[in-house]
Amino acid sequence: MIALAVAMLLAVFLVYTSVAGNGTAQVRPSDLAGHAGVVSLTGRLVAKPTGDAHGAGLHFVVRDVKGGTARVPVVYKGTVPDMLKANSDVTVQGELRNGVFVAKRDTLITKCPSKYQPAKKTSNT
Amino acid sequence: MADLGRAALVTSLALALYALLAGAAAAHLRRRRLADSARNALLAAFGSTAVAAIVLAVALLRHDFSFAYVADHTSRSLPWAYTLSAFWGGQEGSLLLWLLILTAYGVAAVLLNRRRADLVAWVVPVVAGVSTFFAFLLVAVASPFQTQIAPVDGAGLTPSLQNPYMVAHPPMLYLGYVGLTIPFAFAMGALLSGRTDERWIVATRRWTLAAWGFLGIGQLLGAHWAYVEVGWGGYYAWDPVENAALMPWLAATAFLHSVMIQEKKGMLKVWNMVLVALAFGLSIFGTFLTRSGVINSIHSFTQGSIGPWFLAFICVVTAFSVAMILWRLPLLRARTRLESPISREAAFLYNNLLLVALCLTILWGVAFPILSEAVRGETLTIGRPYYDFFLRIFGLPLLLLMGLGPLVAWRRQSLRALGSAVLWPAAVALVAGAILLAFGAGSSRPGLIAYTFSAFVLGAIGVEFWRGTAARRALARESWLQAFSSLVARNRRRYGGYVVHAAIVLLAIGIAGSSAYGSTVERKLKPGESLSVAGYDVTYRGLVRRESSNAVEVRAVVDVARGGNRLGTLKVGKNEYPVEETTSNEVGIRTDWTRAEDLFLITDQINKDGSVYFKALVKPLVNLIWLAGVVFLLGSLIALWPDAREARRLAARYADAAAPAEA
Repeated sequence: MIALAVAMLLAVFLVYTSVAGNGTAQVRPSDLAGHAGVVSLTGRLVAKPTGDAHGAGLHFVVRDVKGGTARVPVVYKGTVPDMLKANSDVTVQGELRNGVFVAKRDTLITKCPSKYQPAKKTSNT
Repeated sequence: MADLGRAALVTSLALALYALLAGAAAAHLRRRRLADSARNALLAAFGSTAVAAIVLAVALLRHDFSFAYVADHTSRSLPWAYTLSAFWGGQEGSLLLWLLILTAYGVAAVLLNRRRADLVAWVVPVVAGVSTFFAFLLVAVASPFQTQIAPVDGAGLTPSLQNPYMVAHPPMLYLGYVGLTIPFAFAMGALLSGRTDERWIVATRRWTLAAWGFLGIGQLLGAHWAYVEVGWGGYYAWDPVENAALMPWLAATAFLHSVMIQEKKGMLKVWNMVLVALAFGLSIFGTFLTRSGVINSIHSFTQGSIGPWFLAFICVVTAFSVAMILWRLPLLRARTRLESPISREAAFLYNNLLLVALCLTILWGVAFPILSEAVRGETLTIGRPYYDFFLRIFGLPLLLLMGLGPLVAWRRQSLRALGSAVLWPAAVALVAGAILLAFGAGSSRPGLIAYTFSAFVLGAIGVEFWRGTAARRALARESWLQAFSSLVARNRRRYGGYVVHAAIVLLAIGIAGSSAYGSTVERKLKPGESLSVAGYDVTYRGLVRRESSNAVEVRAVVDVARGGNRLGTLKVGKNEYPVEETTSNEVGIRTDWTRAEDLFLITDQINKDGSVYFKALVKPLVNLIWLAGVVFLLGSLIALWPDAREARRLAARYADAAAPAEA
């Protein structure tokens, strides 16, 4: 009975992975160049973002959270999380097009580099 | 002061270690006095941990910033309730709270079961072993009593945590997490002593139920906090830290069901051992996830130094549990076999398999980034669609089973008998489905299925209550009301369980309604302009600014109307915190009870020219989720309530089991 259930579980799993594909790769700005297609980019904001996320797009530049010299310009449209400022750590999904990381709508998430270790942190999903 | 705290923790560590070693030796050699000594050491460990906790609480309330922990997590201007809640706002305090609850639970479990010395003999060393781990962390790795030269003021608590929900939500989860240690300890005790009868299950049923109840309520509080405070329009995001609480809850749910089969039929003994170990392991894993920062989470945490220790402890717990179960496998043979795939036993089994499958797929999703990093060298994350898919695949059949299970007879049932048993609930479900289809619910197929199944479950629960009441009434010649109340009072576990089922149905309806039938409109509005969403007309009037002690509050004033009738004014906007350089969304929610839906407004962006980019959501039935919490609590309390009759019955049943062991 249990063996049957495990087999069923595996079958469902295979169906899912074949339909929906695998997860999204998480990359740092310095690793971005080698990745084609949609990835999830995690980095630290170099300066305060400029532009209009509900107009022509919000522009900002991210670098590696630790080390690395790469700087990646990002253009993003959609909901902007609360905690966004210089030195925020962010994760955003999208793909590199002609040297600019074009983000998918509403995928920007902040991760506050705070030392408070709060139990929960404001962010948009 | 800090020295007292440190000394108390070292004492706790020494006492826990002694209780572990002496307790194990006493249980192995059957030395009664040594066992008493180990037990007393565990009681004393609770005392010294309480002293440490009091020291930290006093330091917090006195704003003693010479404690690094106090300075890092509070400030002078913080209200006292939030100052106290900083106790569990940081890593060291959380671990101390964990140890305090664990030793308190241990004391309660030992004292409540003091007449069952043979059962408790191995519980003391197991609880002491877990306590030793946490006490060690507090003494050697993450001490809450680090001192420093006191700064003038502390760093303060993050604004979004200054919220009543955040005062109640973490302790609730801890009460749940830690509570799962006690059934685990009894289970391992049963394996170690070789007394693998059902007594350990009977002794820990209420512990599991209470821990599970706390976990459930804690998660709903967290979800409600996310809904009203975080302000993105949702309540659950499948974040690793949220999943960390969901996984042990699912495992405990499976355990609560499968123990009934073991009690009644003597089956699933190995399975129950696996489940209780899984639930406990997941509760430790959950703490590891929330506290180590190993997995990227929106609930970002700093990379803690305790991660490797936790990982090692999880490995030890897993290896120990597996070894114990394998060692005692011959004692765990089932007394009876499954007679038919259509029976109450089988329904319980299906329910268990689905719950565990859901739990494991979530675990897979949570662990996937680590695994892919190890195997492929790059971190792959799994998103919302993965979880939503599996919630439907496993959750919808679970919902259906919740209705079918109670209607199926024990042992075996013919398809025909089953057909007549489900006749009425199925009719209710079909009618409900047809009505909903006529009202346009067909726009979401999973939503329609969820609603039809929900109607079926509610129908089944109704039939169960009605049948039971009618039978009692005929038997005892009581009025309907009397019969109903004595029915529930005499079978608290069963009918409490049905009430919890009803809560889960409400939850399912709320989740399906708000996710499958919600509408969203986003638009930039200048003062005087409007947008319409799901029949509501939302008109933006203008901005107001107000300066409070620590924030600038910007609010858009919005008129809400429906079909030409003015319904009222909402204020929605953002708070800007100049010191912390952050802003927070302050959403506007209008709950309409007659339409059973929420209008949820967010100011996504407030422009300098006075225009505002609004996001307006209409969330049907979302409030059923919170109502489900109340019903869930009620059902859990009914099932938990002490029952003298049941206690006598069980005492009589297990008197024979205990007697030979004493001899």
